[in-house]
Amino acid sequence: MIYKTGICNFCGTGCGHLMKVGDGAVKGVFASPDHPVGAGRLCVRGWHIHELLTTSERITRARVRKDGALRDVPLDEALALAADRLAAFPPEAVAFRASPRASNEDNYLLGKLARAVFGTNNIDLASDAGQGHTVGVLLESGGLPAALASVADLREAGFILALGIDITRQNPILGSELHKAARRGARLVTLSGRRTQIAKLSGTHLQNRPGSMRIVLAAMAKVLLEEGLVDRASTGERTVGFDGFARALDGLDMGRVAGLTGLDLEAVRETARALAGSEAAVAVFASGISGLDRETIAMAHNLFLLAGKAGRKGSGLLAATGICNIAGSWDMGATPRFLPGYVKAGDAAAADRFGKLWSARLNGKPGRTVEELLTSSPPTLKALLVAEHDEGLVRHPEALAALDLVVYVGAYDNPFARFAHIVLPAATYAEADGTYTNTERRIQLNRKKVEPGPDILPAWRIWTALAAKRGVIWPYKTSSDVMKEIAAAVPAYSAVTYEELEKGFGLQWPCDERRPKGCPHPGELPGRLSFAAVPDRFTAPAPTGDHPFLLTAGTDNTFWHTNVIMKKTHIPRREYNALLLLYPQGLVEISAEDAARIGARDKRPVRVVSASGSMRVAAKVSTDVRPGTAYVPYFIGDMITGFLDAHGSLLEGGEESVVPVRIEKV
Amino acid sequence: MHILPKADLRRLTGALAERYALYGPVCHEVSGEVIFDLVDDPSRIDLDIPIPYNPPKGVVFPQAERIMSFSYDRASKAAAIEPEALAAPKALVGLRSCDLNGLLCLDRFMLGQEYVDEVFLEHRKKMFIVSNTCVHPFPQCFCVCTDSGPAAVEGFDLDLTDIGGEYLVLTGSAKGEELVRGLGLAAAPAAKAALRAKAVEASVALFDAQAKDNKAWISRAVNRLTTGFIPHEVWEYIGDQCFECGACAFVCPSCSCFNIEDAAEGEGRSCRTRAWDSCSFEGYARMAGDHNPRKAVEDRRNKRFFCKLSFSQSRKYLRPGCVGCGRCVRVCPGDIGLPNVVTAIRRESTKQVPHE
Amino acid sequence: MSETGSKAIVTVPAVAVIDEVRDEIEDVKTFYFSFEDPAVGASFRVRSGQFIMCTVFGAGEFAVSLPFSPESDRPHLSVRQVGKVTRALHDLRPGDKIGVRGPFGNGFPFEEIKGKNVIYVAGGIGLIPLRSSIVHVLQHRKDFGRILLIYGSKTAKELMYRYMIDEWKKTEGFETYFTIDNPEPGWDDRVGFVHTLIAPASVPVKDTVAFVCGPPLMFNAVIGELGKAGLKDEAIVSTLERHMKCGIGKCQHCAIGRTLVCTDGPVYTYRQIKTLGEQI
Repeated sequence: MIYKTGICNFCGTGCGHLMKVGDGAVKGVFASPDHPVGAGRLCVRGWHIHELLTTSERITRARVRKDGALRDVPLDEALALAADRLAAFPPEAVAFRASPRASNEDNYLLGKLARAVFGTNNIDLASDAGQGHTVGVLLESGGLPAALASVADLREAGFILALGIDITRQNPILGSELHKAARRGARLVTLSGRRTQIAKLSGTHLQNRPGSMRIVLAAMAKVLLEEGLVDRASTGERTVGFDGFARALDGLDMGRVAGLTGLDLEAVRETARALAGSEAAVAVFASGISGLDRETIAMAHNLFLLAGKAGRKGSGLLAATGICNIAGSWDMGATPRFLPGYVKAGDAAAADRFGKLWSARLNGKPGRTVEELLTSSPPTLKALLVAEHDEGLVRHPEALAALDLVVYVGAYDNPFARFAHIVLPAATYAEADGTYTNTERRIQLNRKKVEPGPDILPAWRIWTALAAKRGVIWPYKTSSDVMKEIAAAVPAYSAVTYEELEKGFGLQWPCDERRPKGCPHPGELPGRLSFAAVPDRFTAPAPTGDHPFLLTAGTDNTFWHTNVIMKKTHIPRREYNALLLLYPQGLVEISAEDAARIGARDKRPVRVVSASGSMRVAAKVSTDVRPGTAYVPYFIGDMITGFLDAHGSLLEGGEESVVPVRIEKV
Repeated sequence: MHILPKADLRRLTGALAERYALYGPVCHEVSGEVIFDLVDDPSRIDLDIPIPYNPPKGVVFPQAERIMSFSYDRASKAAAIEPEALAAPKALVGLRSCDLNGLLCLDRFMLGQEYVDEVFLEHRKKMFIVSNTCVHPFPQCFCVCTDSGPAAVEGFDLDLTDIGGEYLVLTGSAKGEELVRGLGLAAAPAAKAALRAKAVEASVALFDAQAKDNKAWISRAVNRLTTGFIPHEVWEYIGDQCFECGACAFVCPSCSCFNIEDAAEGEGRSCRTRAWDSCSFEGYARMAGDHNPRKAVEDRRNKRFFCKLSFSQSRKYLRPGCVGCGRCVRVCPGDIGLPNVVTAIRRESTKQVPHE
Repeated sequence: MSETGSKAIVTVPAVAVIDEVRDEIEDVKTFYFSFEDPAVGASFRVRSGQFIMCTVFGAGEFAVSLPFSPESDRPHLSVRQVGKVTRALHDLRPGDKIGVRGPFGNGFPFEEIKGKNVIYVAGGIGLIPLRSSIVHVLQHRKDFGRILLIYGSKTAKELMYRYMIDEWKKTEGFETYFTIDNPEPGWDDRVGFVHTLIAPASVPVKDTVAFVCGPPLMFNAVIGELGKAGLKDEAIVSTLERHMKCGIGKCQHCAIGRTLVCTDGPVYTYRQIKTLGEQI
């Protein structure tokens, strides 16, 4: 047998693959035909994961900075040094950044290391704003803090709403499900300022003005109220907070909707009716690096609750996670806000329960994110451990450079390693057993395919070794042992075992005594759902005389995240470069009308000027943006990266955040 | 023709395993998925299971393959170039006729043009092929539309046809005859030998009822692709649905576009790898500098279907490049497997139409 | 089909030594090379207009048209640095080694055009692939009628092989016309795009073949002017550049419509180019 079953490690869709292995090395990959999510499909990234896994650009030796340069040292020496130095600072001054591509076992133990060994709740995932908002809204509403609709539900739904997400680029196989749903006759509506591929494939494209999605959703909700299309059960005893939501909607003047959103009100009304009239409906949006803001997610949730499409089989919100284990990392508590299983950090009873499980006294003070710590004034952070980070965009480099200690743990080199005092080599996901939780709560086991190099350990073993160096001996012999502890710690994972995972294509949590085979349709779970609190003011960013364009940012197929990973492949890197060849300094997409007005030409430079910064990039004249709006792909070229860094709101606020700019011909 | 009792298939595969690396259709040990794979245990090869998800082309044309090593010491100026070691002889057992036709397309393209592809030749020579007649079609099959099944006509060393309890064994080469002799297989009486044609006829008759997923009436598409008379809207309709994943080329038994990359390995060593590529990728035709002659996605789609069905390309394959296996339909994230494209071209239509 | 194809180095490159490096214009260098194994050098027969695949160790391989005349020149390449591999080549010095496969491709017509007038029209580094034919034709001056070189670039310093052109001008009756896009100090010749020179040169039409090579915009404008002057499509010859990986008609990166530039080309008549059914 040379084809071994496994799970793709790029985006959160979690497609199954068959990895070709021979002579102790990865040789190729093929789509897994029977996998319930991928069903025989992979995207351009997934079809080339073997190129990443066979790159020679690996971190293979432990390194410690001496006299300014990183030098190879024995692994044990580096581990001891890292453990001692991390322990030398007070817990509040130490932080851990987990990797959203790491396994549940890796991140569960990193959380345990941070909390039970180094006594701090300062642990986060980078770029977790989107998933954090999703989790927040859903917890507040009384449902599961994760996708309520499954991929399989997309195959049944009569109405699908794509909110902003450029899904055929970010989660291509989920995008495929949307397209196939439209082909079988489902109503597919894309609400997006850009004419993305999924917008072209949708029966309806509501091309709203950027930043106005929340108002469109509110208007749809108001149409349901006005036209008596509200699901009775949803406003009655099954839910909480209807009156508050209805009052908030009073603040929306329907006469102003067209002006605020740039949409024809009748099209909005018609879409609302179609939603209400469908048997089952799913809303898909990006969760993760380019996700939505809290208010928009809350409005989408309320709209679906009002329409009777929440808490129902096959219906609900599906937050599409951009990285393979963002969802699982949150489940494992890789966030300052929650211990594993979404137990509030800082809660005394929780601290007590986990203190017993982990035989440690836990810090009762809630933690802070690395972002908060790096920007706090005066600076309090002294030491930072970063695990396998994909981003090439290093924010706050001065603050990082000022830290007393940076430890980088990863398989691949990364700009973060530049700041590192200690570098520890980690196994790739193909070199270790581990579980990953996809966008639809599917916990999947990926088995080790090849042996790592002599000094390379799976991350969970590194965390175990660091604990041991601090005198804390953990008993795990295999990652399966770690999963046994996760099952004890997290109720929704309590029936998950490697033996059970081995039998099929994963288990969708909640997976417990009552549901040992998992729960594909959590909408059926009993319980009351709440309307999320939403503000009663409805404003949208508007262009000004000085800054007549609304600029948004987004991702693409091959410039996945900041491409630190993609650039180590051949074909996806070439695809990325193909765009760069045409626009080597980066690009800003504008409409032909606007280009003509300002005298800009395709591939010729323009200057993008905001109230607080400017960048020089090439114009890409496109039919995909409407007049008055402009779009930049995230991570092309240092110019754009620098500009976006100066506009942190674009990065943190996700797809719905906009920066008013003017664009000048250079 | 000879007779091989089904229970004796193991003798055949066992004999091959002694001399060849043995490949065949198997159910995956963990997931149960049907794949074409290298087997250690000859008894795992199962000739009754459906068409494998991966085409056997990967055996002769691997997804990624190191083909050469270089070393260059800039100080001493010593340079060495080493082609990779020769591949072991391989036996491919249980090839369906679609896949065998795909392999023949590759042979004619890689070996039969002006230059011989020496890397491909290295895999292909010393190969033993046992084909397997499809006595019934599978849902995705349309080989009857592309004249590539349900039974093999040429290119095999041995060909097996299940006639219930035993296989009719047709020999296609001296190597095949030698193996039949070695196994001491009994000659098939004339009445039994005639059953192969009957089995093929019965299989063709089942297509309407069982091969329901795809139909591709290719002749008008061949005409239009060759002459270029296809409205731009049709290509745009197809291009809009392309997710640019490359899967259609990767699973196609006759697609052979490849990429070549050199990678440094440190200390002056480097290696040359060749790997599957797809003409649907934006970077595929790009040139150094900023000229990309095939920018628009619909232009790139155009290229692939031209390759599968145009007369000019068929001249290189000595048959249409499409062999009717239906794999591209199953792997496409859009809905533009070859049969749908043929339908769109035939009807000059961008409206979704049910299969006839 | 190339008459030297059977002797080409097909798969495994032969090691060659860079004997000399010459700076041409900005970003363009010429590399003179010879084979490490003299037997390979002796059997390395090239036809004007063919190309080779050049390996720069550790960086990669690229296709490049050969500028040298098979009869009278030392083997060499003139290469502009545009990507990773060509940048690595530019780092090499005399004595460094490269790998060479080929020669591949059909090459320019030579015997077929004897007795005719020959027009060369080039833009920028488009002169590089035409060089072998120019040298060859000038060497057999008496076999041809009028010989014209119409050559332009963006600026004066981007004109290739100026020192060579001065040598070529010594050949009797070799007519040259030069232009740059915009006026600049020290330039007293013509100004404007290349195609504007075709009318003033009063190019011959009957029994004439034109070789055209340059960027796509220039190419199309020149073809238009030559057509207006009365040249037939089959009398216009060009050499196409494409992204290539194998050079032997297998990888298909260089496919244009039904043709593969590496084995069917790279030299095509404009009549052939027009039927390729794709942008060139």
